[in-house]
Amino acid sequence: MADMNVMLDAVCLAARLTLENGGETYRAEDTVEHMCKGFGISHADVLALPTGLMVTISEKDGCTAHTRLIRVRKRDTNLSRLDDCNAVSRQVARGEMSAEDALKKLKEIQNAPVPKLLWQVLFGALSAAFFCVMLGGAAEDFIVAFLCGLLIHCVLPLLGRCHVPGMLGGLFAGFLTAQLTLICNTIYPIHLEPAISGAILPLLSGLATTNAIRDTIKGDLVSGSARISEAVLTAALLAVGICIALSMWEGRI
Amino acid sequence: MHWSVQIISCALAAFFFALLLNQPRKTMLFSALFAGLGYGIFLLLGQSTLGYFCATLFIGVACEICARLMKKISTLFITSALIPLVPGVGLYRTMRYLVQGEYHMAISCGTDTLMGICAIALGITISSVLFANIRKRERTVS
Repeated sequence: MADMNVMLDAVCLAARLTLENGGETYRAEDTVEHMCKGFGISHADVLALPTGLMVTISEKDGCTAHTRLIRVRKRDTNLSRLDDCNAVSRQVARGEMSAEDALKKLKEIQNAPVPKLLWQVLFGALSAAFFCVMLGGAAEDFIVAFLCGLLIHCVLPLLGRCHVPGMLGGLFAGFLTAQLTLICNTIYPIHLEPAISGAILPLLSGLATTNAIRDTIKGDLVSGSARISEAVLTAALLAVGICIALSMWEGRI
Repeated sequence: MHWSVQIISCALAAFFFALLLNQPRKTMLFSALFAGLGYGIFLLLGQSTLGYFCATLFIGVACEICARLMKKISTLFITSALIPLVPGVGLYRTMRYLVQGEYHMAISCGTDTLMGICAIALGITISSVLFANIRKRERTVS
């Protein structure tokens, strides 16, 4: 049997990548359990939270246990990475990959290049613009929502680089969207409702809310309530941002 | 606004959102398709709470089936397929009413939005629990 430490490293890295790139906590726990089975470890216990991860493995009862505690600070959504990581864990679970190979592969995934910022900005803006049309916006609203999307997706990474917490980013994004839309409205009359709601739709963590409620129903109470509070706060800050901008233009909308 | 324009732009929006999330290329078209169809169901049922529930249930089941067939995790499909259903308009309207001081309207609109979110959560929970049980039964049989 391979070295326990290497196995534990591989298992922890897989779970960490799952949590950091938009996987649910139960998925991280499943990943650990399946990989441990693949490595032939009979005793494995894992507790995954949105902000951290604890794994303990031992070969049999009474043996020396190996434990690792990992803090997860970054929480993004990068579905390609999640998929790659899952592919590795599937291979390991089937016993087709050794711990060393798995660790090497996972490190490659961790260091894989992130998508170019320019494209991200463009895609974010385009999705905002089409959301606007979906909500009943006309051609002029499409353009305004596109501009708002460009602005938001340029500003958010900048704020991230200045170490502004992600939640406050939502406040700024909501404020800027509403402000830009209202300025455009004075130049040329547009439909405010589809333009603003379309532009903020990609930021609303709808999936976070549904995942939170799903986690809670399934019995993962800690991660469920942590995610509910995150989702509610994100939505509230976004709404407050819009609210501030709207109240500055009160009487003119 | 004609419903076909709304559905097509919904699918396009979901597609670009999938690109934003760096979704694996093979899964993008499915997500966009399910997003469009799901929104169609939502429009058909009159944008009601029941509409949210049925559309989400459809998207959840379709994504789970697709995930099983392609041997990928369902999160990949669901994340971008579900985003058009998030009640962003409700949130905006609630805020606007609050700013204008129409608190009755704000509460009624806010409650509708909350009900929508709960319906979405219920739909996605039911579909995922359904498929989790199927998977377990398969394992015990084999």
